[in-house]
Amino acid sequence: MSALRAPGFPEQDIRRRAREGAAAVFPPAGEYGITVFGADTTAPRDGIDRYRLVPPVFMPRRLEKLIDLGREPVYADVALESSFGGLHSPLPMFVSALGSTKAASAGAALARQAGRAALPMVIGENVAPVSGLRAGWHMSLLERITAYLEELPAADGGLVVQQSTEDANAEVWNSVYTDPAVLGLMESGRLAFELKVGQGAKPGLGGLTMVDDDTAQRLAEQYVMKRLAPGTVLRASSPGTFTTEILRQQVHMMRNNYPRARCWVKLHPGRDIAQAAVVAWQAGADAVTVDGAEGGTGLAPSVFLGDVGLPLHECLRRLGQLRRPEQPGQLGQPGQPAGSLLANGRVADGARAVKLLALGARAVGIGRAALVAVDEDPDRGLLRFTESVALEMQLLISALGKYAATDPGPEDLWHPGEPGEPAAALARPEPMETLA
Amino acid sequence: MTIMKDLPMPPVAGSPPAGMPSPREHLMSPRTQAVLKIQQALVAGARAVLSGEGAVELFQPLIGPVTDPGARGAKQVDVDYYGHRYKLMASAILYKQASLVAFDKVFFIAPNVRLEPLETSATHRHLAEFHQIDVEFAGASRDDAIALAERVVRGAVRHAVTAQGDALRLLGRDTATLEAFVAEPFKVVRHGDVIRQLGGAHGDGTEIEWPAEERLSGQASAPFFIVDYPKGSRGFYDKEDPARPSTLMSFDLIAPESCGEICSGGERESNYARIVTRMRETGENPAKYAWYLDIVRQGIPGSAGFGIGLERLTRWVAGLGSVWEASAYPKVPGVVSP
Repeated sequence: MSALRAPGFPEQDIRRRAREGAAAVFPPAGEYGITVFGADTTAPRDGIDRYRLVPPVFMPRRLEKLIDLGREPVYADVALESSFGGLHSPLPMFVSALGSTKAASAGAALARQAGRAALPMVIGENVAPVSGLRAGWHMSLLERITAYLEELPAADGGLVVQQSTEDANAEVWNSVYTDPAVLGLMESGRLAFELKVGQGAKPGLGGLTMVDDDTAQRLAEQYVMKRLAPGTVLRASSPGTFTTEILRQQVHMMRNNYPRARCWVKLHPGRDIAQAAVVAWQAGADAVTVDGAEGGTGLAPSVFLGDVGLPLHECLRRLGQLRRPEQPGQLGQPGQPAGSLLANGRVADGARAVKLLALGARAVGIGRAALVAVDEDPDRGLLRFTESVALEMQLLISALGKYAATDPGPEDLWHPGEPGEPAAALARPEPMETLA
Repeated sequence: MTIMKDLPMPPVAGSPPAGMPSPREHLMSPRTQAVLKIQQALVAGARAVLSGEGAVELFQPLIGPVTDPGARGAKQVDVDYYGHRYKLMASAILYKQASLVAFDKVFFIAPNVRLEPLETSATHRHLAEFHQIDVEFAGASRDDAIALAERVVRGAVRHAVTAQGDALRLLGRDTATLEAFVAEPFKVVRHGDVIRQLGGAHGDGTEIEWPAEERLSGQASAPFFIVDYPKGSRGFYDKEDPARPSTLMSFDLIAPESCGEICSGGERESNYARIVTRMRETGENPAKYAWYLDIVRQGIPGSAGFGIGLERLTRWVAGLGSVWEASAYPKVPGVVSP
């Protein structure tokens, strides 16, 4: 455990998960029998947290499973294996981009554990240009790729290499696409590129990091630099300009230039997020990642964290109003987004993950939680953390009478209600049994 | 960040293609020698046509702050230019457009370097280092460029047949067949029609995949042009058809006999604001292109042009199985070679 801190985030809980794995899903064993437990009402809560997962009494889906199995289903019958964005994963979870903050210096350890867990992993912007593949330019990126691949089993997982507007200068994608290190991934369909349109922690701004004077001098040609204090220089990327046509054509360009890489698009929580997601899907993106305003491992101005961007909850509500394009003979269902949707933002336990799935996400990203878990134990912290979250997800989804990661839906959520936002607005009709 | 101590060496990505001889064997082979002589005749033929049209031959810079970003998935090669990051030329397109402020008709015959994706080592038609006959005419339309490309190819082929008939026969190439290929006007088909014909995985806004293009080429009885590629498949400099948004005024020339594309071109965008916008659509940062945009902002003529891949043209004319045979020192992507 190092000096890494995650204020406002359930850091202690994640550290316990990283130490104890599945045991951390329950109260400490020593307290059982001598302590009474109830809901913790002190933790900071956002719109997603305020939802409760609400199992029904009657469970026709459980009956289906019972008939299928020939025995009563239990939590362990929940299949978490998932496919999203063209990749496969043992659970509906991936490691989000961490950027180039010093706190992300555990990059290689994280990559190794993510590889061992076969979780798809996004490698963030700036890793290449700042930490500077081969010939010195992209060493840090190559180091993370190599660490991930060394541990990755033959199936599942995959690497998602992000590129932002200014990373394009460093030709991150071209460098990766032509590098022998990723040939195996490309041949097994496990390489993806993510176009970073924006990020949750600072919607409308580009990447920001603090660098020292030497680095500032080295990168002065590439970035805007502002010296805030001796030895502390703010390095700012431009956010990049997007219009409907620019986004559509950039996705086309990715598909044409890198036909063997999957195409992901990461959006910041902009007010037109639903429109942007549809443009990306229609242009052929394999996944759209929504980064809620709650997320972030990197540097952001405090005012952005408190005051800027749609909460993840609202992003998913707007996206949930989209319907899948009508298929012959099959109407779209309310609450299901029109393409593969991934969600990022404060995911630290199974409950939030299942709620995000219920709100339409196909998988959830972990960022800070992954960093804290690796900080707690560089060798097995992330593995134990995912083990605990996977167990929670199985328990929760089975409690809802469902048995696959894609099954949770808006009917599984209850919201205490806010003006203009009744929980009922999300609900879709409950499948009813015919009463004999 | 810890620096990894044992960074693995790149695995041997590509072993040399089957049948590829050692550099010495390759140079000493009568086949190679015949191919190189045919290549020179093709260059002489092309040069004669272009000079006859009044075009000025220029030397292309080898390095520059930016180069053609339009190459599909290929990596550019960095050069440390006194602390500035320069590039080896991937194509001379930006310099061709700029040169039109000096001369109305220009051409380069010059080397280009593109570190192509490793998968291209198996296409028989990609080299990391190759040459182009790169042509640009001010005030020309797409149709003008198509007609010019046809004249250049026809002139080059006829000159090679006349000047290197023995070399062609040594390679088993029937010169009468070659002459027949270029006897008739080349047909022009639309990209959309080709995509419909291919069906399957080819979606809107996408390039024709290499294996599909090879099939089309195999079915053709003569070279033909494909026109109207979609935006998102080409560089920012190809002009979008004002009458048909999302369609570029671009073209490819496809050789028969499974050789595939041997030439790309189009009518160019010359409007500053539209070029900047198109740069964003292709994911480029306009700031990188400062010198080019400065010239464009002050005005460049509208133009059209093309680049003919010399080794690809040679492969087709000489009837070779792979493009590497058309280079004295072939660089097959990923294969370590001199």
